Amino acid sequence: MVYTKKTPWVLIIGIIMCVYAWLVQQQYLAGVIKYLETDKLAGEMVTMGYIFGVIGIVVGLWQQFMQPKEGHLDYYLSTIGGALLILLCVFAVKYGAEPVFKAWGAAAGKSIGWDFAKTLGINYILLGIIVGMIVVNVFKVPTWAENGVRLSRLGLKTGVILLGALYSAAELAEYSKWSIGLIFVFVLGSVGITLFMGRRRNIPTSMAGVLSAGLGVCGVSATVASAPVVNAKSSEIAYSIGTILLWGILMMFIFPPVGRALGMTYEQFGAWAGTGILNSAQVAAAALIYQPNGIETLKVAEIFNITRILVLPIIVLWLAVWYVEREQTAAKVNLLHVIVGKFPLFVLGFIVLFLLSTTGMFAPSHHAGGKFFAGEKAKLLKDEQIVVLQKAATDRPETKAALDNLIANKRVMSKEDDVLLRGMEKAKETPKEIKAVLKDAHKNAWKTSPRIGWFRDLIIWFFAFGLTGLGMQITVKAITQAGGQPLIIGTTVGTIKAVGALIAVLLLKDLINP
Amino acid sequence: MQRILLASHGTTGSRAAEIVAVNHLQPGDQLIHLQVVPDFWDGMQGDDWLNNSSTRDVFAVYVENSLETEAKVTFDRVAAMVAKRSAMCETRLVYDKPVQALLKAVADVVPDLVITGAPRPKYAEGQNSKMLTEAMLRAMVVPLLVIPYPNV
Repeated sequence: MVYTKKTPWVLIIGIIMCVYAWLVQQQYLAGVIKYLETDKLAGEMVTMGYIFGVIGIVVGLWQQFMQPKEGHLDYYLSTIGGALLILLCVFAVKYGAEPVFKAWGAAAGKSIGWDFAKTLGINYILLGIIVGMIVVNVFKVPTWAENGVRLSRLGLKTGVILLGALYSAAELAEYSKWSIGLIFVFVLGSVGITLFMGRRRNIPTSMAGVLSAGLGVCGVSATVASAPVVNAKSSEIAYSIGTILLWGILMMFIFPPVGRALGMTYEQFGAWAGTGILNSAQVAAAALIYQPNGIETLKVAEIFNITRILVLPIIVLWLAVWYVEREQTAAKVNLLHVIVGKFPLFVLGFIVLFLLSTTGMFAPSHHAGGKFFAGEKAKLLKDEQIVVLQKAATDRPETKAALDNLIANKRVMSKEDDVLLRGMEKAKETPKEIKAVLKDAHKNAWKTSPRIGWFRDLIIWFFAFGLTGLGMQITVKAITQAGGQPLIIGTTVGTIKAVGALIAVLLLKDLINP
Repeated sequence: MQRILLASHGTTGSRAAEIVAVNHLQPGDQLIHLQVVPDFWDGMQGDDWLNNSSTRDVFAVYVENSLETEAKVTFDRVAAMVAKRSAMCETRLVYDKPVQALLKAVADVVPDLVITGAPRPKYAEGQNSKMLTEAMLRAMVVPLLVIPYPNV
């Protein structure tokens, strides 16, 4: 079978990307870029535009002038069209729609006092998913792009694997400890409540089984994995997936504004999203909507997500045994086959990358957090800022010493000094102008590791690609299948999980902040 | 000889339609039994990103087999009732949007009568019927008989 569908669109997308990169490079779009305040992204626009544009042109020309033959090359090249379509959407939302919404939000903030873009977390990740959903539900994904759109799953998995390189051993140990505890309670709790409600509401065993996996573990993926094991009927599968999709999408929109309203830290929000959102795909989305240009939230959320994912084979195995015990007609399953077949192999990739990063092969160990203490390479404060600092007063001798050090050297001299001065900066009694200088001193003291920064941007691109592509696979037709008993049970369990996880995370507030 | 097109898919409402359709048959008549697998199944594993391809393939095959088996049970039940009335029965299983599938079948078969069940009442168990839409009613070119939902 030949997979490549001949179309001029791959070539056209390639040309659009190259022309865009050239226009940015030649400063023809300088006015627009200045208005949208996307100057910082200009380099990325040029690099990404040329890389993907050239790929599009080469593959597009190949499609136009060569006859694709059956084989691996044809199969792999058939994915390029869809991948470029997703990337074009990411370009449009990252360099166009997001800054426009940001500007509109700021204008609304000035006129009506409500910056809707900031409050609702309208950024390119959210917009990418929405654009993806519009493409599939309004226009339909073109046949030449179908193979490539499915590639988005690989994008997400690659993003998770690469993320493994950005954890320090201490971080991973700390996050894992909390994730295992919370996930254990919430997965078992959700499965238990679902089965209990299922029994009370007299739903069939197979429906209770498939729902409990979906609501308890990781959403649609768990439903897909467990449906054949518990012999779910087609209507039960449709109801369950519809309900989970509906809840996943709703929570993706609701979690970030609530997190912002509650003033949650990145770590807290990551823990909440990783525990409380039913569908694992929307966990990464919510984390990146909350913090689109950094990965602190994503790092915590993904640890919680991975813990959930690792529970999946165990829950499927348990459901298989549970179902066989209750249904006399059920065929026995090979337990080892279930465990091996359902194990998410990409998690091994994540672990390998983490282990490799601990050897320091990607970046020096003190760069692992993304930022490192600049020490003597830190930028100096200006003389007028020093004059401001000389007016500062504190009763604490150790803070006074750190302040004196700062005034004498015009930069923060040690991490210990930085902690003390940060405390002074956060203190209510510190005057505004002194706070501003202390903030600058802190900023100057920490540098972003260029290699880690590059790696972080790459990971975010993989997630943006994956989530936009995933949006192109979420159909309203599937969501509208939500209904019946599964919707009642799903709403109850989903609400308990979201609210319960929020309370747990807020109670553990100081602990989930290593 | 009359040709009746029955659109049913095994739900409570459509079972009532099946009985009425069979009762309409005279010896030698033909019943064309249409079942539609709705196209929403396209998006049913769209959000599954973490399973490997073998798990997804197992799921896809499982869903296909389930839909086919469930359809066959309905087909066999109706065929047995039709046989008792010495009429002929033809089965059609189509994957499409319900309305389009029905209209295509009508254009293809040109039946004397189309029989289908009424949508389920609010709060009754079962999936929503997507067949009796205004667009379908406007496009229908043969008599259509909608059987009321039974009192259960």
